[in-house]
Amino acid sequence: MSTFVSVAGTGIIWLALLGPVIALLSHLSWNAITKSLTAPGALDPLVISVESGLVTLGVLFVICTPLAWMLARGKLPFPRVWETGVLCSLLLPPLVIGLLLVFMVGPYTPIGSLLADLHQSATNTFLALVIAEVYESAPYYVLGAQSAFASVEPRLEQQAGLLGDRPRRVFRRVTLPLAAPGLAMSLSIAWARAMGAFGAVIIIAYNPMGIPLQIYTTLQETGLASALPYALVLLVVALPLPLAAYIWSARAGRRRRG
Amino acid sequence: MLDADVEVDRREFTVRAAFQVAPGERLALFGPSGAGKTTLLEVIAGLVPPRRGHIELGGRVLTSTAPPVRAVPPWQRRVGLLRQNPDLFPHLSVRDNLCYAPSASPSAAELSSLASLLGIEPLLAAMPARLSGGQAHRVALGRLLLAHCDTLLLDEPYTGLDASLRRTLTHLVASLVAERSVPAILVTHELTDAQAFADRLAVLDRGAVLQVGAPDEIVLRPASRRVAELVGYLGFVPSGQTVAGVHPERVIPGAFGDRGLVLTGTVTACRPAGAGWEADLSVGDAAVTCRLPDKPSASGGDIVVTVLDPPYFGSDGTVSSVPAKDGEARPEQVRGL
Repeated sequence: MSTFVSVAGTGIIWLALLGPVIALLSHLSWNAITKSLTAPGALDPLVISVESGLVTLGVLFVICTPLAWMLARGKLPFPRVWETGVLCSLLLPPLVIGLLLVFMVGPYTPIGSLLADLHQSATNTFLALVIAEVYESAPYYVLGAQSAFASVEPRLEQQAGLLGDRPRRVFRRVTLPLAAPGLAMSLSIAWARAMGAFGAVIIIAYNPMGIPLQIYTTLQETGLASALPYALVLLVVALPLPLAAYIWSARAGRRRRG
Repeated sequence: MLDADVEVDRREFTVRAAFQVAPGERLALFGPSGAGKTTLLEVIAGLVPPRRGHIELGGRVLTSTAPPVRAVPPWQRRVGLLRQNPDLFPHLSVRDNLCYAPSASPSAAELSSLASLLGIEPLLAAMPARLSGGQAHRVALGRLLLAHCDTLLLDEPYTGLDASLRRTLTHLVASLVAERSVPAILVTHELTDAQAFADRLAVLDRGAVLQVGAPDEIVLRPASRRVAELVGYLGFVPSGQTVAGVHPERVIPGAFGDRGLVLTGTVTACRPAGAGWEADLSVGDAAVTCRLPDKPSASGGDIVVTVLDPPYFGSDGTVSSVPAKDGEARPEQVRGL
């Protein structure tokens, strides 16, 4: 009886969490999908989102992986100060991040002037879109990667060093493979956040238009029904990577358990 | 030859030790938990910098705080460290763990013969999570051997394993150390492990080496009362101006004045211990524990025992010369009051 209650309770919560996805699927018609997505240029926002998302992932991996490792290993003085900095961008509402980015990289700021000298701009450009996505997704990656590195036993790295591996080789042969499942999960969560980034994007990168803004403008201009196909596209593009990462990390865990 | 002379600051005290270990020799660092034994191994391995020190291994200077200052990084020391936790890489199979060291490139025959010597041949394809504690230790040992380290440092590697496995692994390591002719140091707080392994035993307490000697000599002739306490002396009976140390296993029933100190005491407690009995005796104001082959008569009764050739300590805790056997200074019999 108690098992039945637990399963039933969990099932209700599970269905409630999945409710929006179920609603999306139940309100979509094949005709609406083909009509919306086969119009000329209809998939341009998708291409923009995927491209900017991939660049964002690259930037996060290159810049934030060492930061996460140093935070996990306590390599930085005053670690709480650094962690608070990372948490700040997580706690700030995305819309506020967008507003503040205008003051940071907008055309009338030192960074904006520098970019202008290089014939670049961080407002309403692909660069601006990437910057907004990086700010919205970075804390998810940094905190996840920090936890992935912290789960690697430092004694194993020490042992690898004593067996003759230089620190860089230890990182490649021990730290990275052991942290990889956690890193992949964090990266895929950051990907989902980047793909769905809206608040900061609408402020500094209204153009070029990615999928989230396409959904918003379609909703504004032609209503809910024509926006839904884009919502489906966003889900289809954003979800496979986290799912693949989940399956891969579960398989890595099974392999380690023998 | 491993030659170390180091001083390392710890929070409560400074660890000071100087010792040499010859190729093929086995030294045991024995002492209570927190005595600084592991710190010494970590200094040799290059994981902890000493305040002052000089460490040489096979003619190579690994650490020198005096000019020319030298601190060889751990990955260039060729020092093998085996800890209580075998620290196998969980993402690599047993075979890949064994061959992990860049210097390990064993032929199939060499790998197979080592695996068979260690009794892990059927496990080469297994993942570490599948291994028992003893198997994991064997793999960790094999990994160090294939890395061709110049010295073996064993930091309480057998804690948590059952007695027969400890014995087997101890003998295995001892024979491999002799075969490979490398210096080896075992750190342990178990006297029996230290004695089973070592040619030479050093007693460490609060960072200081109290005594170095043959494993039997340390127990039979402790240099101070503190060493005696550490190696298992559980009773100290006043005897003239000195106190006699009583090791429970150096007590026989009956009065044999020519073999040691005869005590008459009252049995206050008695319990089975191994194949015999352990009894607590009250001898005057002193309490003595002794191991006896037969169960003593009921609690409360007096028994006479002989402490075989006990060490004597002065009031400052240092060893006192044994009084002449027939001299008056040595009371042959201490009577319980």
